[in-house]
Amino acid sequence: MAAAPSQSVTQSDVALDVRGLTTSFYVGGHWYPAVRDVSFTLQKHETLALVGESGCGKSMTALSILGLVPPDTGRVEAEAILFEGRDLTRASDREMREVRGDGISMVFQEPMTSLNPVLTIGFQVSEALRHHRGLSRREASARALDILEQVKIPSAASRFNDYPHQFSGGMRQRVMIAMALACQPKILLADEPTTALDVTIQAQILELLRDLRRDTGMAMIFITHNLGVVAELADRVAVMYAGQIVEIAEVEHLFARPSHPYTEALLRSIPRSDRDTAELYTIPGQVPPITRMPSGCRFAERCTYRQDRCAGDQRLTSLRDAPTHAVRCWRRTGGDLPTVGAADD
Amino acid sequence: MLAYVARRLFFALPTLLAVMTLVFVLVRIVPGDPAQTILGDQASQEAIMALRERLGLNRPLWEQYVDFLQSAITGDWGASMVTGQPVLGEIANVLPYTIDLTVASLILGAVVGIPLGVWSALHRNRLIDYVTRIGSLLGLSFPAFVSAILLLLIFSIYLNWFPVISAGDRSDPLERLENLALPAINLGLIMAAYITRVTRSSMLNVLGEDYIRTAQAKGLPHRSIIWIHALRNALIPVVTVVGLYLGILIGNSVLTEIVFNRPGLGKLIVGALGQRDYTMLQGLMVIYTFIIIIVNLLTDLTYGLIDPRVKYS
Repeated sequence: MAAAPSQSVTQSDVALDVRGLTTSFYVGGHWYPAVRDVSFTLQKHETLALVGESGCGKSMTALSILGLVPPDTGRVEAEAILFEGRDLTRASDREMREVRGDGISMVFQEPMTSLNPVLTIGFQVSEALRHHRGLSRREASARALDILEQVKIPSAASRFNDYPHQFSGGMRQRVMIAMALACQPKILLADEPTTALDVTIQAQILELLRDLRRDTGMAMIFITHNLGVVAELADRVAVMYAGQIVEIAEVEHLFARPSHPYTEALLRSIPRSDRDTAELYTIPGQVPPITRMPSGCRFAERCTYRQDRCAGDQRLTSLRDAPTHAVRCWRRTGGDLPTVGAADD
Repeated sequence: MLAYVARRLFFALPTLLAVMTLVFVLVRIVPGDPAQTILGDQASQEAIMALRERLGLNRPLWEQYVDFLQSAITGDWGASMVTGQPVLGEIANVLPYTIDLTVASLILGAVVGIPLGVWSALHRNRLIDYVTRIGSLLGLSFPAFVSAILLLLIFSIYLNWFPVISAGDRSDPLERLENLALPAINLGLIMAAYITRVTRSSMLNVLGEDYIRTAQAKGLPHRSIIWIHALRNALIPVVTVVGLYLGILIGNSVLTEIVFNRPGLGKLIVGALGQRDYTMLQGLMVIYTFIIIIVNLLTDLTYGLIDPRVKYS
């Protein structure tokens, strides 16, 4: 019997354990889940990529972990989100504030709008240090300057009192990263940190993140829709579709043996220079709207292998011969194996 | 920045000239003869003719115009056609009262309006928000002279806390404040109503911005997010509205000055209008234009204090 991946490691190696996370939004008088029953573990020092197209719930998963889903429209339910022995789903507002920016930090997609335009970057980077570490203004500034140098802001000292609009997009994203790393978090949630940047700048930011991860030993959840980035940076990959994880595996496994039809289609739709293709491959059809999710496999409608059995409940299940590789598709798993991690339904 | 101020003032000169020309023409288009008005209905034709001659009203219009511009530039704005006192002197006498009133209402409006707007935004669609919004709507729709009379009745007549006539000695600080209190409350509350509404909507916009989410992700306490990260951004549109409203406020102070019997530009202009005091009207309108230009300049300079993206070039 295939062991679930989360059981193959000891609890002390786990940086974050998300079990049964469901995030719903209030649409037209009803609550609809945008993230449905997402479970995964993040090991210490590991980079897990969350991959999927826009609106698949990957950003919402990260925001849910940090408790940043707007409470008037969104609702987060989870069996547990375990971080350093604490269940974040049961943490008070105050406890969550202590975790945010200290234990777990986040870098957002849009460096142009994610920095406060009326505050200096020096202030914005040192702020978390003053708050979480209780440093004086001077101590925090000195430390903030170190971090700005660490993220390779050129002549950081002279730019310390500059405002965000005086920086380019790539430099702003470096500032964002410096802000997130100020308190040396255990986990960094990077939500498409390179998507809004030019290609050459993207490569620089990725390299920076890779270096920082190596130097600090932090774990990282890297959210992206770009599989090329995944191959470069991630240890493991979770592919999300319509609010669910449909496949999770080590990065080499996933690329070598994509087992969910959606993953397969995603890999096929990457443009390649070594093959002569007249047209880019696109997945037919569209993601079902949040208000009309099918009860069985959510990808079935667009799947080339669809059969009647797809209308039944699909569970994220380990492959027989690769216990750390789990797929939500009965064709690969036989459909009768135990579920991965926490109970799936 | 000094260069910027100098340049702005220099470019205001054509505006001032245009306004002076317009004022000169307008004042003479208004029906009614100042000599007749000054001397009254019973005056003889000879007396009226003599007065017209003395006031220069019989000279050709262009001569009057050139004369008006020349003396205005040299600082001689003529004497009031009614009192015979220099126009500039009369204006200088009441200007401090108007500035007192305007500044006091502005401060009151900001001190009341900004926190109320923030509070209202933070309790969006809850009881506090509704009460604040209805209150500010009342403040906007209540005529200034009605609220002025109510204030007088309550605080001056029944409670006897403040003087009924607010025209005391400005040099005595206590008396100055006493005389200022009710008129400033009257205009300040209207100002506060405006500021509350703008602050609320602006704050709601800002709270949805990405950088607020960033601040939350840093784990900052609520108060830092509101007062440091959100408010400063939210104040930018508030400054715009205050700048616009200050111009209106100076005009709106007319009714307040009349009800409280307080000296000021507003009262002076109403008096000059009633008596067809051409020279006084000319002087007042030029002063008003000048004030508006200064207020606009101050507004633009305030943007620079709040928003580092504003460049003076």
